[in-house]
Amino acid sequence: MKTKNRVYITATTSSSCAGDNSQVLFENILSSSTGIAQDADYFFNANPAIGKLTSCETFHDELILQCKKNLENSQLKNYKETLLIIGSSVGGMSTTEDIYMHTKDYENIDPHKHHIQAISNSLMVEFDFYDTLSFSTACTSSANAIGYAYEVLSKGLYKNVLVVGADSLSRTTVGGFLTLGVLSSEPCRPFDKKRDGMNVSEAIACLLIETDIQEGCIEVCGVGYSSDAYHMTHPQPEGKGAIDAMKSALEEANLRPQDIDYINAHGTGTQANDSAEGTAIETLFSDKPYVSSTKSITGHTLGAAGALEAIISCMVIQEQTIPCCTFLEEAENKKINLTSKNYIQDLKYVMSNSFAFGGNNCSLIFGKVNDVL
Amino acid sequence: MMSYSINLEIIESAYVYAPQEIEELNTKILVPKMLTRRRLTRAAKIAIYLADKVLFKKGRIVYGSSFGELLSTSQILHSIGEQETISPTHFQNSVYNTAVSYLSMLHDNQEEIMTISSGDNTSLSVLKVGAVKALEGDTILLLVTETLNIDNIEKVNKCAAHLECGVALKVRLTNEKATLDLNALKSEDKMPNSINKMFTIAKNCDRDKTNIIEVLL
Repeated sequence: MKTKNRVYITATTSSSCAGDNSQVLFENILSSSTGIAQDADYFFNANPAIGKLTSCETFHDELILQCKKNLENSQLKNYKETLLIIGSSVGGMSTTEDIYMHTKDYENIDPHKHHIQAISNSLMVEFDFYDTLSFSTACTSSANAIGYAYEVLSKGLYKNVLVVGADSLSRTTVGGFLTLGVLSSEPCRPFDKKRDGMNVSEAIACLLIETDIQEGCIEVCGVGYSSDAYHMTHPQPEGKGAIDAMKSALEEANLRPQDIDYINAHGTGTQANDSAEGTAIETLFSDKPYVSSTKSITGHTLGAAGALEAIISCMVIQEQTIPCCTFLEEAENKKINLTSKNYIQDLKYVMSNSFAFGGNNCSLIFGKVNDVL
Repeated sequence: MMSYSINLEIIESAYVYAPQEIEELNTKILVPKMLTRRRLTRAAKIAIYLADKVLFKKGRIVYGSSFGELLSTSQILHSIGEQETISPTHFQNSVYNTAVSYLSMLHDNQEEIMTISSGDNTSLSVLKVGAVKALEGDTILLLVTETLNIDNIEKVNKCAAHLECGVALKVRLTNEKATLDLNALKSEDKMPNSINKMFTIAKNCDRDKTNIIEVLL
């Protein structure tokens, strides 16, 4: 990929079960205060641990609010020259479920409030964007959206991009992961020998991405994509697809494995993901960067995870603090450098991994900006 | 704001559609393993059929669908409504990237595969994303499908007469002038809006000539 412009994340806002803004989110991660709790509202006869937004607003209102806040935090006057890119795995599914549960009929279901584009449709009513499109690749949706933002901006094709990762809790996802037997009844323990599954969560994460450097911004250094071509729900056991995505991101960023200080892992807490991802990291990184997953605090926010964890990665660089892998007692893979506590240290490059159903993989690399403004 | 345009040569094109269910997708021949074949969704079968028609096995793919795997979604909704356990197969097949994931497994295609879902503008978005990706110089498969053939769909579908349809365009970057004017082409009113743009292009491709479109970002 021949790039031209450098690309920066200049404003971020988020809302999740770990707080309705990114500062609180990061404080909760550093203090190991999880937003995950047992909940019986989403599927009959089940009480899995899941993550609900802490905000009292509806998901729709919170979505609008987070985009408004992002605009306020930016140097833009409006979004008229902004490409809106959504990353979502379920779109308006919970709206459809509510109607269907009430009537057991399709009659009152509005297709435009059902599909993935429903998120964009809501925002286009409130704001005037230059154009919009939506990515839906399950749990890599918003990571791929950030990757595409990086591509179009580095090639000078758009002025700026607002990436919005958004997925609300739904009976489909809670019930679906339950039936796959991968939901934990406690906050998840990524990479732990005794891990017993993941936590489905909801989140909204917004990143304004531009080519103009600004105070406090973080650089998007590279993106790597790959496909496992292996199984619909299981990653390739040796993490071959994950290795390909991470390698490709390093190549794009013109970095070596030893340049990466910290990896914010996909780390869902499932047997399959953590084993394959751990093997992939072990294989590619001989110099052992610090590794942790923040999903024990935020849960797995599915299509929003890539964007939420990109914000966490930005804060790791801004605060020069690597978070611990919360609830980790005994690592299954002892050859990777899982964090047992928070580390304050000089760090320049952070990698964020996202992997999804269908073997869709995306790795992003973020970097500290040293340029004097 | 200045907008950019990218010209794409359409190397191969194919489309398929039916008012209800497309009868012959050649699935038994294209997917010899019965275990794999049995898991395929309708959209996956259409994707595999179209990829074969345009002679595409490995490489980057940009796929699009406005409504994704509607049959799996409706089966999940039914289970939720009846307070039954969701079928694992329905759940794993309900994600929007299901069709191209099966296609990637069939051909061991480990390249970048994107899925776009932009409502009525889905095929236009696939063209735009495909055009940006094509700047790298490789040959890319652009693919869209809709599979709306589920019970009681008439309660929500007021527009599309063809409930199953798909289009494939195998494209690469070109500096040559466009030969097809997207705005001048008459669109097909029986197709779902989400695939109409690419369907109109595929339908107007002349097999004996070089077909080039200009994609405006």
